[in-house]
Amino acid sequence: MLFKLEKLSHRYSDGTLALDEVSLNIAKSERIALLGINGSGKTTLLKHLNGILKPTSGTVYYEDTPLEYNTKALLALRKKVGFIFQDPNDQLFAPTVKQDVAFGPLNLGYSQDKTKMLVDEALKIVDMSEFAEKPPHFLSLGQKKRVALAGVLAMQPEVIIMDEPTANLDPRATSEILHLLLKLNKDSGITLILATHDVDMVPLFATRLYILNKGKIIAEGIPKEIFSNAELIRSVNLRSPRITHLFEVLKKEDNLPIDKQLPLTISEARKEILKLLENKNS
Amino acid sequence: MEHSHLYAQIDRYAYTNALAKCSPITKGFFAFSALLISVSSPTAIVPAVIFVIATIVTLYAAKIPLHFYVDMFTLPTIMLTLSCLFIALFFGYGEPLAEIRLPGFIWIIFKNGLNLSITTFLRVEGALSCLFFLVLTTSITDIFITLRKLKVPRTVIELSLLIYRYIFVFLEVSAKMNTAQTLRLGHSGFINRIRSIALLAGNLFIRTLEQGERTFIAMNSRGYDGNIHVLEDLPKPTKKAVGCIAIFDAALLVLIILTINIGVI
Repeated sequence: MLFKLEKLSHRYSDGTLALDEVSLNIAKSERIALLGINGSGKTTLLKHLNGILKPTSGTVYYEDTPLEYNTKALLALRKKVGFIFQDPNDQLFAPTVKQDVAFGPLNLGYSQDKTKMLVDEALKIVDMSEFAEKPPHFLSLGQKKRVALAGVLAMQPEVIIMDEPTANLDPRATSEILHLLLKLNKDSGITLILATHDVDMVPLFATRLYILNKGKIIAEGIPKEIFSNAELIRSVNLRSPRITHLFEVLKKEDNLPIDKQLPLTISEARKEILKLLENKNS
Repeated sequence: MEHSHLYAQIDRYAYTNALAKCSPITKGFFAFSALLISVSSPTAIVPAVIFVIATIVTLYAAKIPLHFYVDMFTLPTIMLTLSCLFIALFFGYGEPLAEIRLPGFIWIIFKNGLNLSITTFLRVEGALSCLFFLVLTTSITDIFITLRKLKVPRTVIELSLLIYRYIFVFLEVSAKMNTAQTLRLGHSGFINRIRSIALLAGNLFIRTLEQGERTFIAMNSRGYDGNIHVLEDLPKPTKKAVGCIAIFDAALLVLIILTINIGVI
């Protein structure tokens, strides 16, 4: 197992119990979505994965070794586990894009030449090469997000953790980020873990998902299984993807002969509709 | 993103002007040597020459729009004119230039007072043109890296680097809060305005603390070890450029000696 969380609890200093005995496993090259409403503990959970937060009780294992919280061990962990924050302004602090992306590799002690190479490569992957010399305050939110991603990629991580990667982005920027992430996962086998409440995006992205509610994991599985349980989804104040909801209504209200496994994405819906038409004709 | 502030525009030109790729050491050498000569020149002609040349370089070599350049000069020139008027009216001795008869006493304007006033005016304008050349053509990143090369203490540079970046973040935040207050009539009437500004300032202060915390965490996540390392790829100053500037400075010094006894009037 790449990540293993064992009865992880976290209580903030103001007394709130943000995580309550959470256990989960994440294997290499998986694409994991943590789904939950605001305040369900997603961000707190993510922050344990690269040692930003220390559990109040329970243990985090990375590659079967429990995390240590000394400077050296954390540095080694953070080289492998990159973290992209929800607000790119938290992350982009350098006066130019290039300098910001170079921050991580230089901290790893790489030479100027090697760093330059990594920076160029990372900016190319996120398609921001032409902005290398620009200061971050010239960029749009979507561009800032991509630069933040480049900053992490330049450290050549094994895992990328993202907190709400598509929050506040326009549809185009959302789809760009999404495709970029899928490509990284496919080409380099980078494990992706993200927290989100964007239910329409989850089926396109995740191989597996966890549902968090009030600091507890209440469900785990592949998107198809989880989203076919509409009661469960609604009980935690989330909703099904729009497409799924439409098919649920068609099945319940209009008694159309639809599979128990409802389609989650446009392409699945298309197949389902074509099948229905075919059955009707024959 | 739109920035209406003058300083945000300066920042934009610093990154985009036609001399942005030129070595900051060359530009700094030109600006500071000419600035020193301008402020220490005893004659009025040399600062005038410096003003003209720095302006030509800024407008034609760096391609800064004229209207923007004029905008930058407006405020300091108004202040400067007032001060120089004061020098012209109240300073000087020796040969009188004009006498103004007022009831009860005679106000004398001296020739060397007027000379001093005009020289001061030109010195400052000359120095300003050098400084504006530097800020309009050199990005803050280049300045930081150059300062590092010049062995300025790390802490000073790193603090300036973070302050510089977050000025823009907080400008945006305060502009948003200001709009939000205006929309709820927070700026109607003097008392309301004072209260709203106080609230905004207090809130902004707390925000900066939170931002600091979050940025620190984000930096730690990328292996921050207490030092901010930067990529040092600056264009190198060419010997030719540095040589030309040195010759230019020498010519200015010679011009000072030649014109030392020539007054403006």
